[in-house]
Amino acid sequence: MSDADTQPNPDEDFVRSVWEEARDLIKRLEGSTVQRFSVEAAGTKIEIERAMASGGAAPMATVAAPAAAAAAAPAAEGEPELDGRHPVVAPLVGTFYRAPQPGAKPFVEEGDVVDEGQTVAIVEAMKLMNHVKTDQAGKVSEILCSDGDWVEFEQPIMYLDPLGD
Amino acid sequence: MFEKVLIANRGEIALRVARACRELGINSVAVYSTADAESAVVRFADEAVHIGPPAAGRSYLHIPSLIGAAQKTGADAIHPGYGFLSEDPYFAEICTDEGITFIGPRPEVMEKVGDKATARDLMSKAGLPLLPGTVDPVNTVDDARDIADDIGYPVIIKAVAGGGGRGMTVVNNREELPNEYRSTRATAQAVFKDSNVYIERYLATSRHTEIQLVCDTQGSGVYFGERDCSVQRRHQKLIEEAPSVHLTPEMRKDIGEKAVAGATSIGYSGAGTMEFLLDLDGNLYFMEMNARIQVEHPVSEAITNCDLIQEQIRVAAGEPLSVAQDDVVFTGHAVECRINAEDPDNNFAPTAGRLETYVPPGGPWTRVDSHCYPGWMISPFYDSLIAKLIVWAPDRERAIDRMQRALSEFEISGKGVKTTIPFHQRILQNEQFRSGDVTTDFVEQFMAEEKQLAAAS
Repeated sequence: MSDADTQPNPDEDFVRSVWEEARDLIKRLEGSTVQRFSVEAAGTKIEIERAMASGGAAPMATVAAPAAAAAAAPAAEGEPELDGRHPVVAPLVGTFYRAPQPGAKPFVEEGDVVDEGQTVAIVEAMKLMNHVKTDQAGKVSEILCSDGDWVEFEQPIMYLDPLGD
Repeated sequence: MFEKVLIANRGEIALRVARACRELGINSVAVYSTADAESAVVRFADEAVHIGPPAAGRSYLHIPSLIGAAQKTGADAIHPGYGFLSEDPYFAEICTDEGITFIGPRPEVMEKVGDKATARDLMSKAGLPLLPGTVDPVNTVDDARDIADDIGYPVIIKAVAGGGGRGMTVVNNREELPNEYRSTRATAQAVFKDSNVYIERYLATSRHTEIQLVCDTQGSGVYFGERDCSVQRRHQKLIEEAPSVHLTPEMRKDIGEKAVAGATSIGYSGAGTMEFLLDLDGNLYFMEMNARIQVEHPVSEAITNCDLIQEQIRVAAGEPLSVAQDDVVFTGHAVECRINAEDPDNNFAPTAGRLETYVPPGGPWTRVDSHCYPGWMISPFYDSLIAKLIVWAPDRERAIDRMQRALSEFEISGKGVKTTIPFHQRILQNEQFRSGDVTTDFVEQFMAEEKQLAAAS
């Protein structure tokens, strides 16, 4: 993975595989408020301490009920919610498009209500069209990018207002 | 010359390349994963692009994101550093297809060099000395036995696609061969997805000696002398030095010229390193060629006063080398210690953590290549290199003394962070190391002796 000069030793392979597992765990914890946990297997122990997003929105509780936490946690690191608005972020580096093809109707307009998992834009990287899907339902309050704009990983491309109960 | 270079890497080498760009008047673009958002190169470079999450597969190894970042910023070249995609011909080819210059050899040349069997074959034809053994992959147990009989035991079975010490097995006698042959193939298939192996004479003791080259696209090449990297643990280099005390000026000239001839014979361009084993009788055997700049390049810079990264960028832009062979004068002795976030007392286990204290040494002829600063988080996602400490002195003894002085100044601490500094200090005090008589099994013996002494007291 890194320099051939600094490639892992044979017995680091095991540590690495534990890491792979831990990484999956970390991914599953995204959006939760769990800050520390440890994994132990066959004498190898991995302790994870997660940095919480800066800003007042990050809950301080060590453990919280997952459902409540998912609603409260910001989706993008270092992008605290603004006035309760929820950012939809680019999944990778690429070119932003609002519509499935040139001239077609945009996926969404400002003011539209979207479901969780709905495609709201495309980010093109090397001719591959990557659908940007929402991770929660909401009302599109602001679209931040225009067709053809370059976006970075996790750059907010639109904001959603949460729906009232 | 390029206007803007994107650096497709992280850590100290990304910063090293960005510094070279700044001195050449080229704008630099850093790319970073979420884990590296606060990195030194992100601050230093003219621009920075967030390319993905911490996992390298989705950031530093993710080709569409790197190409996208280059297109977003209008970079006209990509420097791959070392590791990651630096020796990936496919990446080099995509860069070319997208109209971006890959700073390294052409993809087809990189592919030849990256295949060890092909590289050995080509270098053998170009007149470089090889260890007795096969150039072609060995496909059956019977062939393996015949070849091993010809070479004489012990032999070593190596994965064609191997590297970093993985996928190789030493076989001491005829009886062990069939099993070891099969298991090495199986490992090679599992780890490198290529079961091809070759067999050669195993030298129980030898010195790892490598020649630094830079070739331009006009067909000229210059060697920047050799480095001795025998102080290694399980093929991980710990201390590198230049020159090797075991080469005479005549040997240096002879192997340097052969290495340049070998590289230019295949149309090689860019910086590269040819690895040799030096046996105790003074014979050099070509092992492999690394088609990238290497971690330990600063020791060669220190004894030649040449900036290898700048040369690398210059030749990638199509310019001729700024130096001719006669301009490269070898002066004094340089030593590099790799300071890793590892615990030498716990099998060199990586120790990730946040640095509370980071005070690098200074003083005459002391160079520190590092991306670290107080507060920097050493991430478990990447390699454990904290800093490369390089010193120069008129001779080896004084260089070692200077290194000891510099190591004693280096202050690194953080919760859970251990470094290899104490281990380096103990090696530098070792009589055998100081004598210069070091072979690649030195560290293993050194550690065994330390263990014995500890048990006895």
